[in-house]
Amino acid sequence: MPSKDKESIQLLQGTLDLIVLRTLASMGSQHAYQIATRLQQVSDRLLNLNQGTLYPALVRLEQYGWINGAWEKTESNRDAKYYTITKAGQKALSRETARWRKLAGLVELLLVEEP
Amino acid sequence: MIRLRRLFARLRGLFGNVRREEALEREIATHLALLEDEFRNKGLPPGEARLAARRAYGGVEQAKQLHREERSYQGLAQAAQDIRYAFRQLSRARGFTVAAVTTLALGIGANTTIFSVINAVLLKPLSYPDPDRIVQFLVTYSNASVPGTSVPDFHLWQQQTRAFQDVSAYDFGEHGLNLTGNVPERVRGLHVTAGYFRLFGAPMFLGRTFTAEEDSLNGGRVVVISYNLWKRKFAADPEIAGKTISLENEPFTVLGVTGRRFQTEPVADVWVPFQFDPNSNDRAHYFQAAGRLKPGVTLDQANAQLTLAANEFHRKYPLADPELGYRVEPLRDAVVRDARSSLFMIGIAVSFVLLIACANVANLLLVRATARKREFAIRAALGAARGRILRQLLTESILLSLTGGVLGLVLGLVGVRALLAVSPGNIPRIGENGSPVGLDWRVLAFTLAVSLFTGILFGLFPALGASRPDLNGALKESGNRQGSGFRQSKARSLLVVSEVSLAIMLLIGAALLIRTFVALRAVNPGFDSHNVLTMDMSLAGAHYAKTANVTRLVRDVSQRLNGIPGVEVSAATCCPPLESRLGLPFNIIGRPLGNSTETGDGLWMDVSPGYFGIFKIPILRGRDFTQQDDAGAPPVVLINETMARRFWPGRDPIGEQIIIGKNIGPAFKDAPRQIIGIVADTRDADLSVVPENSMIIPQAQEPDGITALGLQFGPIVWLIRTRVEPHQVAATVVEQLRQASGGLPVARIRSMDEVVLRSIARQDFNMLLLTIFAASALLLAAIGIYGVMAYSVAQRSQEIGIRMAFGADRATIRNLVMRQGMLLTIAGVLFGVGAALGLTRLIASFLFGVKALDPVVFLLVPALLTSVALLAVWVPARRASHLDPIRALHIE
Repeated sequence: MPSKDKESIQLLQGTLDLIVLRTLASMGSQHAYQIATRLQQVSDRLLNLNQGTLYPALVRLEQYGWINGAWEKTESNRDAKYYTITKAGQKALSRETARWRKLAGLVELLLVEEP
Repeated sequence: MIRLRRLFARLRGLFGNVRREEALEREIATHLALLEDEFRNKGLPPGEARLAARRAYGGVEQAKQLHREERSYQGLAQAAQDIRYAFRQLSRARGFTVAAVTTLALGIGANTTIFSVINAVLLKPLSYPDPDRIVQFLVTYSNASVPGTSVPDFHLWQQQTRAFQDVSAYDFGEHGLNLTGNVPERVRGLHVTAGYFRLFGAPMFLGRTFTAEEDSLNGGRVVVISYNLWKRKFAADPEIAGKTISLENEPFTVLGVTGRRFQTEPVADVWVPFQFDPNSNDRAHYFQAAGRLKPGVTLDQANAQLTLAANEFHRKYPLADPELGYRVEPLRDAVVRDARSSLFMIGIAVSFVLLIACANVANLLLVRATARKREFAIRAALGAARGRILRQLLTESILLSLTGGVLGLVLGLVGVRALLAVSPGNIPRIGENGSPVGLDWRVLAFTLAVSLFTGILFGLFPALGASRPDLNGALKESGNRQGSGFRQSKARSLLVVSEVSLAIMLLIGAALLIRTFVALRAVNPGFDSHNVLTMDMSLAGAHYAKTANVTRLVRDVSQRLNGIPGVEVSAATCCPPLESRLGLPFNIIGRPLGNSTETGDGLWMDVSPGYFGIFKIPILRGRDFTQQDDAGAPPVVLINETMARRFWPGRDPIGEQIIIGKNIGPAFKDAPRQIIGIVADTRDADLSVVPENSMIIPQAQEPDGITALGLQFGPIVWLIRTRVEPHQVAATVVEQLRQASGGLPVARIRSMDEVVLRSIARQDFNMLLLTIFAASALLLAAIGIYGVMAYSVAQRSQEIGIRMAFGADRATIRNLVMRQGMLLTIAGVLFGVGAALGLTRLIASFLFGVKALDPVVFLLVPALLTSVALLAVWVPARRASHLDPIRALHIE
């Protein structure tokens, strides 16, 4: 459930996928907890999302074939599923990034233009 | 590409769920453990660290569910779940399930039966190539349009080549042809023109059909035979084409054999060419015609073209009936004409029965929903959405209706056989054994659709109520007693009212048909059909084209038959009662015509002496025919009462002269005839039709032209009045006829009583079906009322106990319940009668001797239903009044 915290930002539909892809692209193989932690660090806690909501995004991306999951041991010797971005995922990331920039630019433009 | 990949992944996600769930569980466990470590590292004590981890993660179950939904098509998985659950629920409530499924199976079965017949008769396309383009030609008069037509009409239609192609004539198939040879046999024969086989796309198994030359005057004796006849009679001789067979003792060359499946309406075994005279002015209407619309031509355009053709006809024949016109209609409409309205009426009646059955099942479901209220409340409290419960309930009701549908399909197929066994056998397109009626995709689709529809119809109403539970109330209430709430009882009352009104409508319809049935049997046909035997013989050969030869045969036969012990008297005619007759115009000699070309029209027939004695038809004035009224004697005629009254009001027609069939064509050329007597009216066209003008001439004086034409297209009918049961003398009569005619076979050996019964068989059949449906409706409605009242009494037992404790006596309690039940009934009766007032107009054409708004029916039927309802309400009311107040109060 999205947090009702005033400060926090609600994610736009589909942006979570982009963020996860981006994280995996820059950080390499990660498990869900690591991804969630990373998201909170980067967003400086502005992005306050329940970590459980990450799971549907992960399964979706896996089914698209953009990321791969594999079971490995963590440093603390726990079983965890590590996700890696695939070639198709890289392509999708650059495509989606470009689209996002375009969209963000457009919104920015409109906001500036508004009197 | 991506989408496709995902689709497969999600479909795969439906299976191997356990493994995936385990993996998810593990992944989440690690996640939570790591979070917990994080919080512990921040210095939280272990217990708080675990809680903080949970908070940070959010709802574990929700995350799992989101994951599942993302992973696979949950809708499908849930549907499977719902079905499993529904199975469990229904198998647990066995009594309810059996009652509901049986009711539905009977309702759906009856509908499947009727639909199978409607499908075979009305929906299946005719089995000819491009059948929708085939049209039947009709001749229209001021008050009717009929398929019967004449050679000049037909030639005009053939010339309308801009609108039609393959315009072909064929006769009505009422006569047979004698296949002569070692063992003479009468076969079904049809005269057709050369284009007929092309029009109906006849596949040829062997040889060919006739050419236009062979179909012209003096085209030779040629014949096409059916596959079945070829197999049965000619030992499937592969060399048959070109061989000669004997028809009516004359040699005919076989041109070909039609394909195995080729069947036409009317059915035939042999086809012979008409060989019309192109210059014929003969305006006798004795055959029908059909054709194919040219590509791109619409029905309206074709009819416009025919209006022009009719104008041309009137220019050519200025003396013809000025009202006469032409029209075409799709052949299928022409074939099924009479059956369509009957089938629609029966179809509506049977769907009413299903609706009533649905109402009863819905009632059962409502009662069940009340009992299961706690179950739904608990499920809702555990987080089941309203839509999910609704879906669950609908799954249950559709499962019920589909089970009912499968059983109904089986019942329906059995029902079709039963229906055809009692049907009068004159339903068009069904054939003699009903083989075209059966299972096909339309019947299957119909049953499936009806099952789904009924499942939703009776399921939705209760489900909507049940899926909106009042959680607090339902969970707090200790027992099953609550739920007799206002909304629920209103729903049940509504169901009872609607089923009562549907039952009323059906009962009124059935009652009107029963009165028709009684009225038809009470009709005095004006002739005595008891102890009369009838059979007929085809005399289509050239020998019998002369009246004198027929007369010789008739006299010989009479002498032979009258000598048989048990035979009182015998005679011959063209047209026995209840069969079609020739309509001809007549002029009264010496009476001015005014603007018209003739005095009037009447039905025409010839009889041999003895005819009136056989049927005990009284000669009111003048005298009967005798053997002396032969070809050499002065021409005479008898007329019936109706004709005498209409044309000689207050005067004596005897001694006056009429001339029959003037201006119709050379075949009908007749001398003026003197009226020698008046016979009583008979209802001999149809029992429900008032007598028409009738002219009867002695057979020996029949013009040769009419004899030739009549015997080519219809048989001669032998009539025998017996002193014993008619069929007892049949064998001897047949033998004598065979000897007298030189070996000709006879057909259609029946008693006149059978003929009369058959003539009203259609009405009887409609009445029988509607009565069965109405009786089932009455029974179902009574069960419905009983069920609702019994349930209501059970629900209110505490209230009743309190009332009794406060001094209400048994009568008061009983009246309380009775009042409630009868109010519902009366509301239903009023609605039903109101609707019936409007609806009976639709069946007016099926009624005879009773008005569509017959007051007796409209009073008796509501009285009947009210008494049945009284009985159904009385049982629970009595139970209520005998409740033990102490026990009633202790139940809860």
